[in-house]
Amino acid sequence: MAESSNSDANSRKRRKIDPDSQTRWRSEAEQRIYSSKLMDALHHVRRPGSGGHDAVRDAADRVLAASARGRTRWSRAILTNRLSLRLAQINRKHKKAAKPSAGKSCSRKPAKKLPPVESKVKVLSRLVPGCRKVSLPNLLEETTDYIAALEMQVKAMTFLTGLLNAGAAAPA
Amino acid sequence: MEPNIEAVPLQFRSGISGAKTGGIGFVFDDIRGLIPNLQETDGTSFTALLELSAPQAVELLVKEDSPAKTMPLPIFPSNIALIDRASVFSVFASADNPPDRTNILSVSSSMKVDSVKEEPLESEYHRNSSSPAVSNQSLKSIKRKEREKKVKKSSKKVVANEASDGSGEQLPYVHVRARRGQATGSHSLAERARREKINARMKLLQDLVPGCNKISGTAMVLDEIINHVQALQRQVEFLSMRLAAVNPSLLAIDSESSIDNSYLGMFPPSIWPEGQMNGSRQQQPWLTDGLHPYDTSNFITPENSLLSYDSPANSASSQLKMEL
Repeated sequence: MAESSNSDANSRKRRKIDPDSQTRWRSEAEQRIYSSKLMDALHHVRRPGSGGHDAVRDAADRVLAASARGRTRWSRAILTNRLSLRLAQINRKHKKAAKPSAGKSCSRKPAKKLPPVESKVKVLSRLVPGCRKVSLPNLLEETTDYIAALEMQVKAMTFLTGLLNAGAAAPA
Repeated sequence: MEPNIEAVPLQFRSGISGAKTGGIGFVFDDIRGLIPNLQETDGTSFTALLELSAPQAVELLVKEDSPAKTMPLPIFPSNIALIDRASVFSVFASADNPPDRTNILSVSSSMKVDSVKEEPLESEYHRNSSSPAVSNQSLKSIKRKEREKKVKKSSKKVVANEASDGSGEQLPYVHVRARRGQATGSHSLAERARREKINARMKLLQDLVPGCNKISGTAMVLDEIINHVQALQRQVEFLSMRLAAVNPSLLAIDSESSIDNSYLGMFPPSIWPEGQMNGSRQQQPWLTDGLHPYDTSNFITPENSLLSYDSPANSASSQLKMEL
């Protein structure tokens, strides 16, 4: 394709993950590495009681982001902003609760950008971590890599739970 | 003007060989009046003719907009010399004149176009019989327009190349090829480049997300992508909950405090990390769940006792499994 050849020619000059996103997250070696690292991380997770699943999820996301080698924006966001993002969100929630909600809706009423595409792009940027103020082509690129990584994460975690459950359920 | 050269030898030789159609002679007179050196119609001195007929070319371009669009012929400038030589040879070869004319035009256009186009050529010619000069020159103007476009594009490319060489590490310019009939302003070119980038990435995403190939339209595809990402994140949440449910048995065994529990007294703590790591690393085939018997026994025996402790959690996790 001419487009892919163009992008390949451009990729030499700037960091590009498009040719890698399909192959990197789908290789078996990567899955093996991720699952073993996840097992190690899970061993180190302290068990705070009912909040255990959040801790597990954070550990899984951190390991996933680490295996991205820091080339993608979402992985960097996950690794650096874990705690600070949470605190900022909590603070913002407290401030929002203090302010009357009417003020917020008034400020949002004059919707300049009505196109549905634009609103969907905003929703997508909120879903992908660390991609709020990113241009559309970069956002799509990050989404591609993020989806591939999430699929690998789901596969690995399914495998691990199956493995551990089988280990647990066999004697019963 | 290059197309004039094809027409000029045609007119000249057809005049010599006794043209059947009077229209050609009419055109021939027009062109002959404009161009001083009719003897030098070799194709080598066409640059001189170019300069002379520049205002004429502008006129032709201005006149011929509509017929130009019926002829999408991307003819490359490098073929002009070939066209000239071919026209020269073909005129000598054939004796008839209307086929002669169409032959030359088809030779010139055969680089890219099928012979089907000959008929519109002829029909155009007959339609515009009142102003045959116009129809004759329409094709020339078409080719000239395309050549101008190519020149524009190539100049843009050259500029872009220099700019990209200058800025080594920054984003290089994207080479955009303006298709026929599209605006070639710098703004529209930049917008088109941006749109092409976005569409390329959307295509990749469509390949990645199942079921997006059939949907057309950016908004729907974005909807699907958002749904897919949300579904994947929910799956990760559920799986982490299940892992957390299974994990207490491992975590409790790992940490020093729970190893002091009574029912774990028979297994020394040092075995456990090794056993589990061996179990996880021996899973060379990714999809098979086959465990080494020694490791399974290591897994199973303490978990057996812990299973009764954690049975509500496990039943909850199995319920989640059903939901999934």
